[in-house]
Amino acid sequence: MRNTSASERASIYFDNAATSFPKPPEVTEAMARFLAEDAANPGRGGHRMAIRAERIIDDARAKLARLVNGSDPRRLVFTLNCTDALNIAIHGVLGDGPAHVVTTVLEHNSVSRPLQALADSGRIELTRVGCDGAGFVDPDDIRRALRSDTRLVAMTHASNVLGTVQDAASVGAIVREHGALFLLDAAQSAGIVPIDVEAMCVDLVAFPGHKALLGPTGTGALYVGERCPAPAAIGAGFKPWREGGTGGDSSSPTQPPVLPYFLEGGTPNTVGIAGLGAALDVLDRMGGAAILEHERRVLETILARLVDDSRFTIYGPTDVARRVGALSINIAGLDPNDAAAILDDTFGIATRPGLHCAPYCHKAIGSFPAGTLRISPGPFTTDDDVAALLEALDQVADAGM
Amino acid sequence: MSRDFSRYHRQMLLPGFGEDGQRRLAESTAVVLGCGALGTVVADMLARAGVGRLVIIDRDFVEMTNLQRQVLFDEADAAEALPKAEAARRKLARINSNVTVDAIVDDLNAGNIERYAEGADVLVDGLDNFETRYLANDYAVKHGVPYVYGGAVGTTGAALAILPHTERGDAPWERSDSGSKATPCLRCLFEEAPPPGTMPTCDTVGVLGPAVAIVANFEAAEALKILTGHFDRVTPTMLSFDLWTGSMLQLKVARAYETGKCPCCKERRFEYLEGRLGSGTTTLCGRDAVQLTHRQNAGRIDLAEIAARLEAHGKVTTNRFMLRAEIAENGRRYELTLFTDGRAIVKGTREGRVARSVYAKYVGI
Repeated sequence: MRNTSASERASIYFDNAATSFPKPPEVTEAMARFLAEDAANPGRGGHRMAIRAERIIDDARAKLARLVNGSDPRRLVFTLNCTDALNIAIHGVLGDGPAHVVTTVLEHNSVSRPLQALADSGRIELTRVGCDGAGFVDPDDIRRALRSDTRLVAMTHASNVLGTVQDAASVGAIVREHGALFLLDAAQSAGIVPIDVEAMCVDLVAFPGHKALLGPTGTGALYVGERCPAPAAIGAGFKPWREGGTGGDSSSPTQPPVLPYFLEGGTPNTVGIAGLGAALDVLDRMGGAAILEHERRVLETILARLVDDSRFTIYGPTDVARRVGALSINIAGLDPNDAAAILDDTFGIATRPGLHCAPYCHKAIGSFPAGTLRISPGPFTTDDDVAALLEALDQVADAGM
Repeated sequence: MSRDFSRYHRQMLLPGFGEDGQRRLAESTAVVLGCGALGTVVADMLARAGVGRLVIIDRDFVEMTNLQRQVLFDEADAAEALPKAEAARRKLARINSNVTVDAIVDDLNAGNIERYAEGADVLVDGLDNFETRYLANDYAVKHGVPYVYGGAVGTTGAALAILPHTERGDAPWERSDSGSKATPCLRCLFEEAPPPGTMPTCDTVGVLGPAVAIVANFEAAEALKILTGHFDRVTPTMLSFDLWTGSMLQLKVARAYETGKCPCCKERRFEYLEGRLGSGTTTLCGRDAVQLTHRQNAGRIDLAEIAARLEAHGKVTTNRFMLRAEIAENGRRYELTLFTDGRAIVKGTREGRVARSVYAKYVGI
């Protein structure tokens, strides 16, 4: 009575916007090697294993700083994930007194929730800027939302629902001219869409290690630009979000105001960072631009098939040139949760239904509260994967009830 | 301190009972797993018999359709939609105020059974699904607590008192003068809980009140023997009957332990207790919905067969990928979507326990 079910077969993976899969074997190897040989707690002035661990972290730190064209690797802070990085940034610069903050409807809850909580507690005033029907924020709308007391503009680089890449450079220029700080959430872009904190006037950029960077979960980073307030555990300045051991200067009664350690309280995820370092080398070899090109080609193939089929609703632009590899659709007569369950159960295809932690975005595109079915290819998506997905979608679309 | 046991006079007259037996009851704890048709009869009997403490665990709320067989509840309870465990506690307090009743309104699962069943001298089965029975069985074998299994559906019933084989072999029932009285456990008889959707449920095929009452009273009798220490009197066979055909069987089960390789009581692997087997739930993003999935391969579900069973309850539609049924309970409407690997999405709730309850009643788990 027990037949092989789809759940036992390997998945055809279209959920790279949640986390990339598979991870390159080099990542697994680097983590296994680190665990076997170097798994010491890093720290300056320690024993040789601690120094090797520190070196692995420093190497990855330098690579990540270069990735965003950051001038100083010490300003690259390792975090537990992108959410952690965003919280460090938001609470860090908004810790002192009242302020006005501008954000957008495209944000993930990792930006919306900390900001909304600050607004609800009366510590900030929040303006949420809308987007057009395709999922793009007009930089001029950001300009119009700025006030004399605006301290921070927090915007996603690419929508995790629609994949739409925002004009971050124009927003950056506007914010810089005004004098506020610009926080860019690069969760969906870091690694494949170029980020240049100097040229794009970005003051803070947060990103995960486990998405387009191909590293393991539990890794992330925040680059803290020079225009940000100086670190200060007490008094005016950039506030620490986590306080604790920093591996050095233990005599200081509060968090020593030295980056990156000021914001890295606690033992870092050294095993994960070892994996992330190896992932960055793979990414270098493959080329972020080539990966993005591949993902766009995949989206183009999918869109070509779905766009004129009345059984499907497509969200966002049909032109893939302004997208990263994420596509939201709906199937007539089928809840996205049901569609995803069928794709997984019958066809072994992994997609992600629902609101994708971005409720304001779904409200803006008219897919709230059911959400959408998100299809997100990655660097290792094959033509066979795409063919299997399209065949499955065709069959599932006839199953609407 | 001497206690007034006079209200139990007719019970103390029984052979092997007396004041000593009554005292043992008063000092004991029985955990009633589920308080529906079986559980209400069991709890009623054990409270009247003078068991010192009853722990009653149930996740559901009283409905009018329960009153046909669930003896502790009345129309007022249904009108208020009281939690069953709480309604039972209130009723039992008026039946026997000497009994301490702990009412627990929760889904019994791997994450809480160790807490809820702590201190039990016996577990008595009033459950509506096999998955939780296998969980209770794991707990019983691991901790050396007797477990009285019982189930009734349609016009049939079955019950078995399980005196588990313990790791050290030193439980009172294993040290009897006439040799060990330990019995096989559920996994000795059937290694895994039946796959979802393969067993009839009371909510889909119905149930005859007397069938439930026979099973529950058999369970209560076995529990009383266990709590008074009369392990040599515990029935060593499995009761199995069909009131409609008149068949009454006492099935010999002892060989199942002797000849089998039970993962639970021989290899002492507690896969349900450790959450390796069984179902899990996740609240889904978007509309109010909970997804239930199975950790083990549940096989392929026969959607057409389940659709046929559910038709009496409301609108059911199927295609080759899924079944959708509208289900009304306590004035709330749920939409059950069942997929071919046994997973389900229950819309209309954000609570895992509600989804598990709907699944257990209408699909069977």
